Amino acid sequence: MAQRAVWLISHEPGTPLCGTVRFSRRYPTVEKRARVFNGTSYVPIPEDGPFLKALLFELRLLDDNKDFVESRDSCSHINKTSVYGLVIGGGELWPVVAFLKNNMIYACVPLVEQTLSPHPPLISISGISQSFELLFGIQDFLFLGQKNDTELNTKLNQLPDLFLQACPFGTLLDANLQNSLDSINFASVPHPQKQPAWRVGTYKGKPQVSISITEKVKSMQYDKQDIADTWQVVGAVTCKCDLEGNMPNVTISLSLPTNGSPLQDILVHPCVTSLDSAILTSSSIDTMDDSAFSGPYKFPFTPPLESFNLCYYTSQVPVPPILGFYQMKEEEIQVKITVNLKLHESVKNNFEFCEAHIPFYNRGPITHVECKVSFGQLEVFREKSLLVWIIGQKFPKSMEISLSGTVTFGAKSQEKQPFDEICIGGTAYLKTGN
Amino acid sequence: MGPPSRETWAQRLGAFRASPSAFMAGPEGEDLGRDLLIELRSEKLSEQTKVSLLALSLEYPAQLWPDAAAAEAAATSLLDTLVLLPPRPSALRRPLLLAATTVLAAGDALGPTSGASRRLLPLLLGLASGRDLGRGFGPASEQRPLQATACECLRELESCKPGLLGDCLGLLRRLLGQEGPVQPLSLLLALALRNALVIRAKAKAGLQGLLVAGDAPTPGGPWNWALAEEGGAHPQPQAPSWPAAEDEECGLAVLEPSPEEARELRAAVAQLLDSSYLLTPVAQAQLLWLLGWALRGLRGQPPVLFKPQLVRLLGTAQLALLHAVLALKAAFGEALFTAQDEALLLRRLTLAAQHPALPLPAHLFYLHCLLSFPENCPLGPAGEEAAPLLLGPRLGRSLLPSLLHDPMALLARLHLLCLLCAEDEEEEKGQGWSPQRYLGELLAGLRQRADLDGGPRALAALCFQASYLVVRCLATQPLVLTPLTHGLAELYRARPALAPHFVDLLDRVGPELGEPLRAVLRQEVVSRAGRDEALRWHLKILAKVADGNAPSATLGFLRAAAAHCTDWGLQQALLRVCRTLMRAGVREGLADLLQALARQLDDPDGRDHARLYYILLAHLAGPKLGVALGPSLAAPALTSSLVAENQGFAAVLMVQEAPAPIRLSVGPRRAAGPGPVLQLQVEVLEPVFSLELRFRVQGQLYAPLDAVHVPCLRPGRPCSPLLLPLQPRLPAPTQLSVRALYATPAGLTCHAHLPPVPVNFEDLFLPFPQAPDDGDKQGFFEELWDSCLPKGAESRLWCPLGPQGLEALVSRHLEPFVVVAQPPTSYHVAIRLPPDSRLLLRLEAAQAGGVPVALRTDHWAVLPLAGDYLRGLSATG
Repeated sequence: MAQRAVWLISHEPGTPLCGTVRFSRRYPTVEKRARVFNGTSYVPIPEDGPFLKALLFELRLLDDNKDFVESRDSCSHINKTSVYGLVIGGGELWPVVAFLKNNMIYACVPLVEQTLSPHPPLISISGISQSFELLFGIQDFLFLGQKNDTELNTKLNQLPDLFLQACPFGTLLDANLQNSLDSINFASVPHPQKQPAWRVGTYKGKPQVSISITEKVKSMQYDKQDIADTWQVVGAVTCKCDLEGNMPNVTISLSLPTNGSPLQDILVHPCVTSLDSAILTSSSIDTMDDSAFSGPYKFPFTPPLESFNLCYYTSQVPVPPILGFYQMKEEEIQVKITVNLKLHESVKNNFEFCEAHIPFYNRGPITHVECKVSFGQLEVFREKSLLVWIIGQKFPKSMEISLSGTVTFGAKSQEKQPFDEICIGGTAYLKTGN
Repeated sequence: MGPPSRETWAQRLGAFRASPSAFMAGPEGEDLGRDLLIELRSEKLSEQTKVSLLALSLEYPAQLWPDAAAAEAAATSLLDTLVLLPPRPSALRRPLLLAATTVLAAGDALGPTSGASRRLLPLLLGLASGRDLGRGFGPASEQRPLQATACECLRELESCKPGLLGDCLGLLRRLLGQEGPVQPLSLLLALALRNALVIRAKAKAGLQGLLVAGDAPTPGGPWNWALAEEGGAHPQPQAPSWPAAEDEECGLAVLEPSPEEARELRAAVAQLLDSSYLLTPVAQAQLLWLLGWALRGLRGQPPVLFKPQLVRLLGTAQLALLHAVLALKAAFGEALFTAQDEALLLRRLTLAAQHPALPLPAHLFYLHCLLSFPENCPLGPAGEEAAPLLLGPRLGRSLLPSLLHDPMALLARLHLLCLLCAEDEEEEKGQGWSPQRYLGELLAGLRQRADLDGGPRALAALCFQASYLVVRCLATQPLVLTPLTHGLAELYRARPALAPHFVDLLDRVGPELGEPLRAVLRQEVVSRAGRDEALRWHLKILAKVADGNAPSATLGFLRAAAAHCTDWGLQQALLRVCRTLMRAGVREGLADLLQALARQLDDPDGRDHARLYYILLAHLAGPKLGVALGPSLAAPALTSSLVAENQGFAAVLMVQEAPAPIRLSVGPRRAAGPGPVLQLQVEVLEPVFSLELRFRVQGQLYAPLDAVHVPCLRPGRPCSPLLLPLQPRLPAPTQLSVRALYATPAGLTCHAHLPPVPVNFEDLFLPFPQAPDDGDKQGFFEELWDSCLPKGAESRLWCPLGPQGLEALVSRHLEPFVVVAQPPTSYHVAIRLPPDSRLLLRLEAAQAGGVPVALRTDHWAVLPLAGDYLRGLSATG
């Protein structure tokens, strides 16, 4: 269950090492146990330098990955999880849990309480999920609400103290590092009995509960008779409960609007105390029968102090909120594009902002754009090969807008231009966001 | 030099962290640990700097204080520093406790004899139980966090030395029931409980009131190390991996708790589980792992205790919690999860494996959990990835791979799809959707992407990994393999630069795909003109796939290609193909090509190689050629193929010095024929082919000897004796030095020195052929006798006789040479000694101890030899 070591590495392509270790922490007492448990298959935790090199190689993040290298590119070197074996000093350091997110590589090595050869299945290693929780926790701490590099550096500097709190001996106590930070600050407040470990401190003031629901729509529109368009809503219910008392009990009940599609694939926050079995079984994978559970969806819980995601769900909406039409014709170095967007009448025509992104991949830089928009304005990001159509806060009364014109591209130079393995030739997409 | 300031410490710590080993090897390394301990008490450094110093001792105690004695001293110093802190709030108490614990546990110093341990343990237990430690051990506001920290320290010590807290279970339970901090106490109690159970079970002892023992060590009283010593020095797995845990199950069954003890145990577990909701999700997961495996196999502990938690846990998105549920599933199986529960768990896993709100690493882990799902009734072999039975095609279909997925997700889902295809094959062919067809389309899409010019290497690697995975799972399905083979051939046609991937794939797949793929790739390559830019890739492929089939097309391609092989690398690639053909046994046409290459290639190295190959081809038989061109025995790990190749040749074509597996001995004498002949017996310890024995006579006594050849010798099968005719130039004994040259079954030619073979004086004896059969033998002898003088020499000597007497001696040694015999008293012996000498003996009037011998020879040098011979006769019997 314990971790032997943790690293945070910033990925810096183009620099000699391609990365820098921003934070690392080792746990010698766990290491001592690893040596006993792993026996002859024990490989010690390397120093930061060799680890960085081996990890970047395995993750294909070094700049020179042009040539075929058997240890990495062989067809039998199949990795199906974010768990790697790194060849360091003649031995294989395994399991290294690692992933890249926001140009930061999160990595740690959990303790395996047995011999490592042959590798035991990951599912049977308790430390693996703890590793993921730790790394996700660090990621959330660093990047949730983070705005700039200065803030990131401040947070990175807080990590050593936070680890003393949240993971003093390699066994993770709380993946919510913000909580640990708060508990350092709250240290002097006397804690009453039976307070959840994840509810640090108490709230004093006017009781209030705020709930917000965020939904994202993923839709694929083919404009073809024989292929049905698809769309899916992914929703999150976020709560902030300012309530007095050690363990206030709250129940939130979600009801569908008239004719609303049922919620499916519901995942709840661990503070939810019980769940209707209908909520557990309602899934988009196979609607077992047609009696899909249509609520109300009740979530009894004791809230943590901070804002949290009470639940996630997916749902099928009857129509996508924006119907789009995107056509692209290639003529040598230029493409002719036509875009029509139509807002569905059931959607409230009022946004904080609304944009459509039109990226171009596998081409040279944009040299010339000649486009007409019926509404809003168009911005061109030449280096990124991207057009951004700023629609603004609402659609016009007709609810329909269009863009048409030609985009000319310069000669292709391999390194700089955006590459995409899907958007080849006439395959392209447009992304609307609001 | 004054004490280091804050800045110098920052620099020093920075340098240390950059590379601890380099720093410790440097001039400052030795003092770092000592300085650090001293500086912690300095009043000049800020608390923040001191915390960073302590952080170092938390991470690198083994480097700072490498042995147990140093660790003990360091821990003592840390504890002293802790006690000396002024009674105001300080940020140092927590890290000092952590550091002292780490140093003791990591430095092997924890134990009953360690003074620091004896101080630390009661201190930690006192803090953990919220006791007032007096002497102003921190202000009241700090007590709560210190209590939690002390629990963590104790948990770590218990992890490193199981059984350490065996005495405190009752105390911990009480504390948990009162006002103690829930999470640290729960985890500590769960771990101590688990360890106590395991240790007692191993010792085949009962629980002996362990759970209710209320008397914790009194402050200042001795610590009870009994259980820790019982547990041995080794840490116990807290959550053993599943296969490894199988043994332990039987172990725990040994504990036969009394009904009362079972009740107590149940109460303790229920107490822990009831408050588990108050723990952070990761801590809840730890608790479930600990308790799940603690109770597995323990009599009277129904797993139902866990049931109330499960529904709550199944609904969460938390990876650690779902993982813990899976661990419970593995631990208890059907006892906790009915078939319906199992189906529900699978549905939740399937859902989590693709939920858009969860990050990719979580999806991948859940996919892995699906493939390694601990089923109630597993069908396949344990430890192999398989699709769970209850997953069913519908759920499985929701996890289909698509080109839009991340590579790892694609591979994981592809694996699942392959497993479904494998099952589908067994079922009836249904209408409509076919997994095979879907698979085919997906692979085609992957190949299309791998074909992208300038695309990253990862895309190509992904395509080949997917193909490999498919072949591994579906090797028996031609419906899948045939289109895959052709698709790959097309991919090669479009992008020959992927040749290294093809070679790698061919190296790893079995014949199901390997053979047809070889054939189509060979066809693909040889149908080319042999002069395009991709020639080096074609040659690379051909070196892998060329074989005895349709050699004329291959040779035609090579002939055409030769003209375009302008640089050294291409020529070597071309020659490598020739090599492959030679190994495959192609001869016709190849010799011509090699000869042409030997003339035509620009590079002298290429020409040399071609000539060498030609010579090999012309002179070596098939098997030998195969060995010569086979993988080098001498240097398999060398990176340069050329060096490896040359070493391989050197090994194979050069004669190797070896210890001889051959034994040579001299057989019975054959006194007949025109000259002396040595009979040699040969035995071998291992099969030997084409044996050539070469003899050399020391000095110039004999004419040079011819070598003896034996085609084949096998151990245990004696061959007929080898006859070695000798041509002495003087009638003298000698020694023959022997060398053997032979081939081993592996095709190597070896050379060995054998022990010398002696040629004795008597080995040269020949009878006189012209002795009359019946006529005047006496006269013949006398004539010879007389003819020796005056040129020769005469002598008389006493030949001792053994117990067997004269008659036996003569019949054994001199029989063929006797001319006149009057047994048992008188014998006249005439011996011819090549090249042209004679030795005549008169043995007459034998007495009991010996016989006087008169001897004459026409060569004076023979006399001493004859004397020695006669005197030695009785000794040899």
